[in-house]
Amino acid sequence: MDLAPDAGQAGRRWAARLAAVSIWLLPLLAIDPTTYLVLTVAGLAMGMLLFLTAAGLTVIFGLMDVLNLAHGAFFAWGAYAGFAVLNALNGLGWVETGTLGQGILSVLLALLAALAIGGVLGLFLERVIIQRVYGDHLKQILITMGASMVLAEVIKVLWSPNNQTVLVPLSFTGSYDIMDVVINKFRVVAIVVGLAVYAGVMAVMQKTKLGIIIRAGVENREVVQTLGYNINRIFTGVFMAGAALAAVGGSMWGIFREQITPAMGDENLIFALIVVIIGGMGSVTGSFLGACMVGLAFNYVAYLVPKLALGANILIMVVILFIKPWGLMGREQ
Amino acid sequence: MTGREPTPVQMERLHQRSRRFTRPGFLIQLALLACLIAGPLVMPSFRVMDLVAKIMIFAVAVASFDIILGYTGIISFAHGMFFGLGAYSVALICHYSQPVQYHHLLLAGVLAALISTVVAVVISALSLRVKAIFFAMVTLAVAEFCHILGYQWSSLTKGEDGVSFKLPGVFSADWSGGALWGTQINGRLLVYYLILVVCALLFVGLVRFVRSPVGRVLKAIRDNEQRATALGYRVFRYRVLSTVFGSLVSSLCGALFAMWLSYVNPDTVLGTPLMLNILLMVIIGGLGTVYGGILGAAFIKIAETWLPDLQKLALSLFPKMELMHRLAERWILLFGILYILSVLFFPKGVVGTLRDQAEARRLRRLGRP
Repeated sequence: MDLAPDAGQAGRRWAARLAAVSIWLLPLLAIDPTTYLVLTVAGLAMGMLLFLTAAGLTVIFGLMDVLNLAHGAFFAWGAYAGFAVLNALNGLGWVETGTLGQGILSVLLALLAALAIGGVLGLFLERVIIQRVYGDHLKQILITMGASMVLAEVIKVLWSPNNQTVLVPLSFTGSYDIMDVVINKFRVVAIVVGLAVYAGVMAVMQKTKLGIIIRAGVENREVVQTLGYNINRIFTGVFMAGAALAAVGGSMWGIFREQITPAMGDENLIFALIVVIIGGMGSVTGSFLGACMVGLAFNYVAYLVPKLALGANILIMVVILFIKPWGLMGREQ
Repeated sequence: MTGREPTPVQMERLHQRSRRFTRPGFLIQLALLACLIAGPLVMPSFRVMDLVAKIMIFAVAVASFDIILGYTGIISFAHGMFFGLGAYSVALICHYSQPVQYHHLLLAGVLAALISTVVAVVISALSLRVKAIFFAMVTLAVAEFCHILGYQWSSLTKGEDGVSFKLPGVFSADWSGGALWGTQINGRLLVYYLILVVCALLFVGLVRFVRSPVGRVLKAIRDNEQRATALGYRVFRYRVLSTVFGSLVSSLCGALFAMWLSYVNPDTVLGTPLMLNILLMVIIGGLGTVYGGILGAAFIKIAETWLPDLQKLALSLFPKMELMHRLAERWILLFGILYILSVLFFPKGVVGTLRDQAEARRLRRLGRP
């Protein structure tokens, strides 16, 4: 008798999951299957790149209780850093005319540059500005908004306010054609990198001591502090890591789109915020799911009604806020 | 209540009430109002009139933002969006109705108020339930969506080109009614006075709102949410009310702004720069002061009109340095740094700091350290 309700609950949960998955098959009614597959791959690739930004945002919020609106700026800075490196390497003839090895190496160098610049900017922002406003949400939001504006403006000063075209190695452009399903090569790279980062973050969080400390910090900061861990140093480290991830995401986005603008940070921040709200503040897995949802929905709707693509994502956010005000994986505080 | 002795709080309030027409603050307000009324007649310069009209509009918009941010402690990034909704209501109705008549303006005002109320209720009902920072995030997303919509829904909004339109009758730019004491009475001047009247009324309304019982509850919620809840106030409802009220005023300001320019485009009335300007003005003027809006708006708008001169100066001082030119071009960068510094080191703004000093002086006079 007392097993029955449990079984019923589990059944309901599976039914809900099945329904959640099958919603994503709905666009098939309006899109033919080949296009649908192409869009799905594009959506997943976009989701993975969004996840790179959202992961940092959500962990920073969960651990440090800081809503970092300057996170989008790291994304843009990463893109510009990658762009600058690729431009410089093109001077050596590595990018547009180089061999496969040179192409791969130059992309790796671009990503590394983005990683470095993200980390440095994150360190600077956390130490100089955010540390002064811990515990005050209002000031945090105001000040990170200002920081985001300043960082975007500095991009305009250093490069230009206009769009820039990113040079991409030949080996990364073009696409595979599997039974009429055209798959852009770089999308595959994006999906692989995104999955790897997700696996890496989860492994660090679940298996390492650092992960245990971070998870404990999300639960209760003071207790971690009383146990003798320097929570400030951990905050700085997590902030840097989050910023670096966002920057790598930005640089990949730049290579993927082959075009960058100073405003890309703001656009990405909007998506990342939607992802984090959907997934639940502080949850990495939630962000991963949210990012996939947002990426897929954006691509399906952009194909059907281009103007409403962002609107569809806001609609999903609204629906989720209705059903679960704390997001898919968020915990009530 | 009639037979009872008045409580000390009531005594204090009665005392304040009896002196309200002789306070220096009231006299300053009267003087300011007189200057605004006489200004265009005494000094007929279009540049000054343009500046003053924009300052008035933004002073009210910033004061209404202060209701949300300073008095309720909620960050709304959609304030610029509501401004834009109001502006687009006027622009689109005046643009598409031929010929334009007076009642179209009224209709546009009502439409702006209605749309902004509905949108504000929906957004706040959704996100204020959970946590105030959700509101910041949701409004950011919705505002961006509206900005994009302004660009892309070009069959209605004409996209990037924006909408230009004519105002009806005596408000139209080509109407002229002769001269009075050497000043041309024309459509622009009448729009100026219309803006003056509406802004003054809205501002008085905002001040009354803050001083009303509702305003006191809002301050109580901002300062200590749990205690306000324990006292039996429905925190959620008050927050929604204040957000809706602030957004409504903002949309009316946007309507006035559109009337002044006779032109709107997505970047000037819906974009992030507008929102950042409002944020900067409210921070410089002082959070939770309402009057700070006037100072903040005046400061930024005057700075904006001076900046081109500053750029020319920078160009002549450093004729060879490319980087300096680019820095001078990006004045938002300077504003941004100013903004961060004032949030960090000058969090009460001009009016807040002055008030603190006045309060300290009063306490010293009373003999309490």
